[in-house]
Amino acid sequence: MKEVYLDYQSAKPVDPRVIEGMSKYFSEAFGNPSALHHVGDVATDALEESRKSIAKFINADEDEIIFTSGATEAINMGIIGYALRNKKKGNHIIISEIEHISIHNIAKHLERLGFTVSKVPVGQYGKVNLRKLERRITDQTILISVGMASNEIGTIQPIKEVGELAAEKGIAFHTDAVAAEGLLPIDVRKNNINLMALSSNDLYGPRGVGVMYMQKKYRVNPIIIGGGQERGLRSGSEDITGIVGMRLAADIMQKEMKSEVKRFQGYRDRMIKQVLEEVPDSYLNGHPTDRLASNAHFRFDGIEGESILLSFKDLGISVSTGSACTSKTLEPSHTLIATGLLHEEAHGSLQLTTGRFNTDDDIDIVLEAVPKVVSRLRELSPIYKTK
Amino acid sequence: MKSTKYSEKVLDHFRNPRNVGTLEGDDVAVGKVGNPTCGDIMEVYIRIDGEVITDAKFRTFGCGSAIATTSMTTEMVKGMSLDDAMKLTRQDVADELDGLPPIKMHCSNLAADALHEAIISFRKGRGEIVEEEEAPTEEGPACVVGQDEFLDKGVWKGVENPRNFKDQRTLILHSGDESVETAIKLTDQTDRVILLTPEKTVVTTPELEKRLEESNVKLLTESRLLEIRGEFEVEKVLIFNIDEDEEYELFVDAVVIIE
Repeated sequence: MKEVYLDYQSAKPVDPRVIEGMSKYFSEAFGNPSALHHVGDVATDALEESRKSIAKFINADEDEIIFTSGATEAINMGIIGYALRNKKKGNHIIISEIEHISIHNIAKHLERLGFTVSKVPVGQYGKVNLRKLERRITDQTILISVGMASNEIGTIQPIKEVGELAAEKGIAFHTDAVAAEGLLPIDVRKNNINLMALSSNDLYGPRGVGVMYMQKKYRVNPIIIGGGQERGLRSGSEDITGIVGMRLAADIMQKEMKSEVKRFQGYRDRMIKQVLEEVPDSYLNGHPTDRLASNAHFRFDGIEGESILLSFKDLGISVSTGSACTSKTLEPSHTLIATGLLHEEAHGSLQLTTGRFNTDDDIDIVLEAVPKVVSRLRELSPIYKTK
Repeated sequence: MKSTKYSEKVLDHFRNPRNVGTLEGDDVAVGKVGNPTCGDIMEVYIRIDGEVITDAKFRTFGCGSAIATTSMTTEMVKGMSLDDAMKLTRQDVADELDGLPPIKMHCSNLAADALHEAIISFRKGRGEIVEEEEAPTEEGPACVVGQDEFLDKGVWKGVENPRNFKDQRTLILHSGDESVETAIKLTDQTDRVILLTPEKTVVTTPELEKRLEESNVKLLTESRLLEIRGEFEVEKVLIFNIDEDEEYELFVDAVVIIE
């Protein structure tokens, strides 16, 4: 049975070209950049070359790039670090209802530290409402965080407009770019982004590496204190191997993104068209057009997501769902609820995300499976009634 | 343990569920547990001859363990006496399936409860158990919290210009045929129109009923609107599910209350 992987949004394999380029840094070029000897110099060069390369990838300056242990750390540093450093200016932060769960949990943490957090609602397709965002701004607001695109439903946010609004009001703008990186061009200057989180794995680099972009004049307090690496903002000996991996991944992405995204768009449009046509009572979640090229997200009346997932597992197909039954909290996806779905609707969702190593065959296989799986589960279901 | 890490037996019952379907007749009893909000609904049908269960069937909406436990329960009870079946526990069902992931023990292992409910209703029917008198259903609050506060800020007393509802997630309270007609009309403007009624179905004319069924209007039955919420304008509503005795929030942009 051919294994089909359509869950690229949750994890990506490392590109073999990246693995090859990383390998010498495990044993030969293993030095500590803090050391002054030659072995240390080799590592320093690799670190600084990587910094330059990644800065170029997002149109930033190299001294605006801070390497971290991943996007989660970068988000913690960007939001908590900025809030703590600027708490004398104000104690109010705005996030959107459909931020990644890590940002919702950081917001809760900041509330415990005495900050107030407002959440701006989204429309039925998951777009942040700018008018509602603006109305939430007070003279205490110091930071707005809106992700570049939803990691679940793939809706692309109007971040240029959010950035302009923030700049006009003198508020820092943070964006979580993890879902969008590699799928949308990222330009921090053009979009008025002051703070941003990136992950290496989402560029087909190794996990355990990320970047916080910090524009000059938007300084943060460090979260991890130690030997003063990364200009004191992120202590701990640099993971040169991982950082080189992220750099190589970014270089490949810069060259191949355009044609790759076009290919994903083809997959996505085919999946959306065919599923909605062939499966009765099926719906698209997220925006009909302003969505990531890799993302097709459906819901089906009368069936439940974990059952869908298990059925696909038996067919060798790896997919994802927003159902509560697969989450740690047994709550349905906060993103789907924020778009106005009822719990029972959120339970019946299926997320298909494509990536670099998918082929037309994979799409054929999943498109053949979807109607079969849905109709089998509906036959078992007491709440699905054929019209 | 991962929530998807199931025993081979659970997977077998999920892949090849036994006894799917329903039963009919005077000697049949049904038990239903769960609700769609929490993600599981299980219906267990049993046929009873004297004191013995002769046949069992089920239908389930839910995750893998929900389907497997109901399937297993129907297998276990065939030929069982009613007294023994009343003693069957969730743990017995889980044990027979070589265990369930801990997180699934409560939420998706309600088949035994459905079975007990079926037996109790059957015994009530035979007069063995005296039915308790049901408390008269309480009338809901006549006024919705926030209704006046948000008037013209997302709360509408009628729909004069449907264009105002373009791409707005709209909740309409069922208050007669006009509200049904309005709901259907608004589906031209937005993908999301929800018609809310405290009844089990929307009571209207046969013609409107048919048009409603063919439309994209989402029905929210046995539900009451308790409160309209938002900062500055309508953003969410608090809904009360009468059947489940539960409250929850729903994101909407507009609420239509035709009086």
